[in-house]
Amino acid sequence: MTEIFWFSEQPYGHVSDEDLEKYESGRMHFPNSHFDPLKANVLYNNYHDQYAWADEVGFDGIMSNEHHSSYWCMKPSVNVDGAVIAKVTKRAKIALLGNVIALSDPVKMAEELAMLDCISGGRLISGFVRGTAVETLHAGISPTENRGRFEEAHDLILKCWTTPGPFRWEGEFFHHRMVNPWVVPIQKPHPPIWFPGTGSPESVIWAAKRQYPYMNLGALLDLTIQLKQIYFETAVESGYEPGPEHFGYLMRILVADTDEEAQEIGREFLWTETHRQRGPIEFNDPPGYQSREALAIKMSRPTIGTGTVGRRLSYQELQDAYNMIIGSPETVIKKLRHVKKELDPGYILVYGNEGAMPHQAVMRSIELLGTKVIPALKDD
Amino acid sequence: MTTTSANESRITVAGNEVQMFSGGSGPPLLYLHGAGGNWGWQAYHEELAKSHTVYAPSQAGFNGTPRPGWVSTITDMAHFNKQLARELGLTRYALAGHSMGGWIAAEMAAMSPESLTGLVLINAVGIRPNNSDITEIFMVSSETRAGYRFYDPSQVPDLEKHTRELSPEETIVDFSNREMSSRLLWRPYMHNPNLPQYLAGVDTPALVVWGREDAIVPLECGELFQQALKDSRLQVIDRCGHSPQLEKPQEFHRIVSEFLNSLG
Repeated sequence: MTEIFWFSEQPYGHVSDEDLEKYESGRMHFPNSHFDPLKANVLYNNYHDQYAWADEVGFDGIMSNEHHSSYWCMKPSVNVDGAVIAKVTKRAKIALLGNVIALSDPVKMAEELAMLDCISGGRLISGFVRGTAVETLHAGISPTENRGRFEEAHDLILKCWTTPGPFRWEGEFFHHRMVNPWVVPIQKPHPPIWFPGTGSPESVIWAAKRQYPYMNLGALLDLTIQLKQIYFETAVESGYEPGPEHFGYLMRILVADTDEEAQEIGREFLWTETHRQRGPIEFNDPPGYQSREALAIKMSRPTIGTGTVGRRLSYQELQDAYNMIIGSPETVIKKLRHVKKELDPGYILVYGNEGAMPHQAVMRSIELLGTKVIPALKDD
Repeated sequence: MTTTSANESRITVAGNEVQMFSGGSGPPLLYLHGAGGNWGWQAYHEELAKSHTVYAPSQAGFNGTPRPGWVSTITDMAHFNKQLARELGLTRYALAGHSMGGWIAAEMAAMSPESLTGLVLINAVGIRPNNSDITEIFMVSSETRAGYRFYDPSQVPDLEKHTRELSPEETIVDFSNREMSSRLLWRPYMHNPNLPQYLAGVDTPALVVWGREDAIVPLECGELFQQALKDSRLQVIDRCGHSPQLEKPQEFHRIVSEFLNSLG
């Protein structure tokens, strides 16, 4: 059974190519004087209405994420968004994909996530990410430290959830002589841990060794199939039998009443195509941040998702590669059945809006997904 | 520049292999390169080797050499270089460093001033200026970074040698140099807040030499080094950027040789 999750980057859609082109990059250099908090207030509330509607019409879960210094994602804290999701939804799982754990105090992270699990009645799925390099740069931390800090933060968070306090932690990066978080998660031994990534094989292997489901964000179907193969081989080497429940795929999906209408609205998915990752390689892949093998794989990818340095595909090519699925319910059902047949993902993550897509069009897309597409896929 | 007197060798320091260029004769001089790495025996090494036995090691982790896991700060690197000097049998020696190498040299001087006959700091980082900032060199494009290098590239002898396109192998070395620099210099950015206090205990004769128009490390940093070191003088080279040994070699050698030869 494939579970379907709703996802929105929560873009600040009031940004144009003309606004951006003056600057060396679309993230660190693009001044926040272009941000209007009152416009953000309207947008945030629209996005929260979309969450509530997705929960109501039958999505299995809501996914959220976090980025910093990014006009296309107004979420500098995935845990704040998680708290909103917990309150505006009743039954959907809450997949936070994820927290950039290298950059925060791991004990406070463990506490916040435990709090979300308690508030939501055990609906939390906790994703841990290394983040794009910009997240690390924005936090003022050397990119060479990200991997080491990530590994240590992971271990400390797990210990907070599974070992009764007080205990002592003296690591390379984090030092706590008295750890005793009062709030611990409902789910035992701890909330599910997912690992979202953008195509780095070393990350896929890292997740597979720990039996953490890997969510491939923003790629082409054929590359995703290759990554799934790496995951499954690693799983077998690690001594367990992997299944669909270990792998998920994020696609940009827009449904409207007709194919023509959907194609028109869906074109907005190209909003950031020319500038999302624009900027010096020193921002996206600074020395020491990732392995050179990972960089080579990224070169084969379109310029979407996070941390990409790839070639650019057209609207039609992106649809042909199952990176975007756009159309009437019938068209979308047909294409998603193809994805299920080729990839058999346990989770399909619906990246469902972008840029200045009209709120009502997105609400209609959610409705058609919930009332037509999801039931058809569940019946397969 | 063709080399006439240099040897390249490998020595072992604290269990790590270190690449060493050395040459010349006379009193020993240990020369520490900057964050851009060690691009071999250069004309300025050759010039210094006319009066000194010059040792120019690649700093641990630079030039594609292995990084000792424990070296993650400049203070660590200073300890590493003290062990290196000991490995070379240097008990009393002159110590010079450019940019990041100057910071390492200053920390070494603070650790054991009695080992040094003299200290030369060339457009060194390590002290935070009060009135401006040390320029960001990591979170900028390579083109921007290259623009900070010289005040007037046209006056750099053998400019092509320093600005030519790198081979694939050299690109990997350059990448690893920047990786190592990121590790050492990121936070606090290119300085140790306590370094001025450390240097208060240093009475070694010291020369602070500075390209006035350094686009990365402002001249104020040179003034602060001069103020922190009891027995020091600051000599400023006009119309010169971050690397006077490359951009104004004659003036650089006149100033540095005069100082080194005065040490006796």
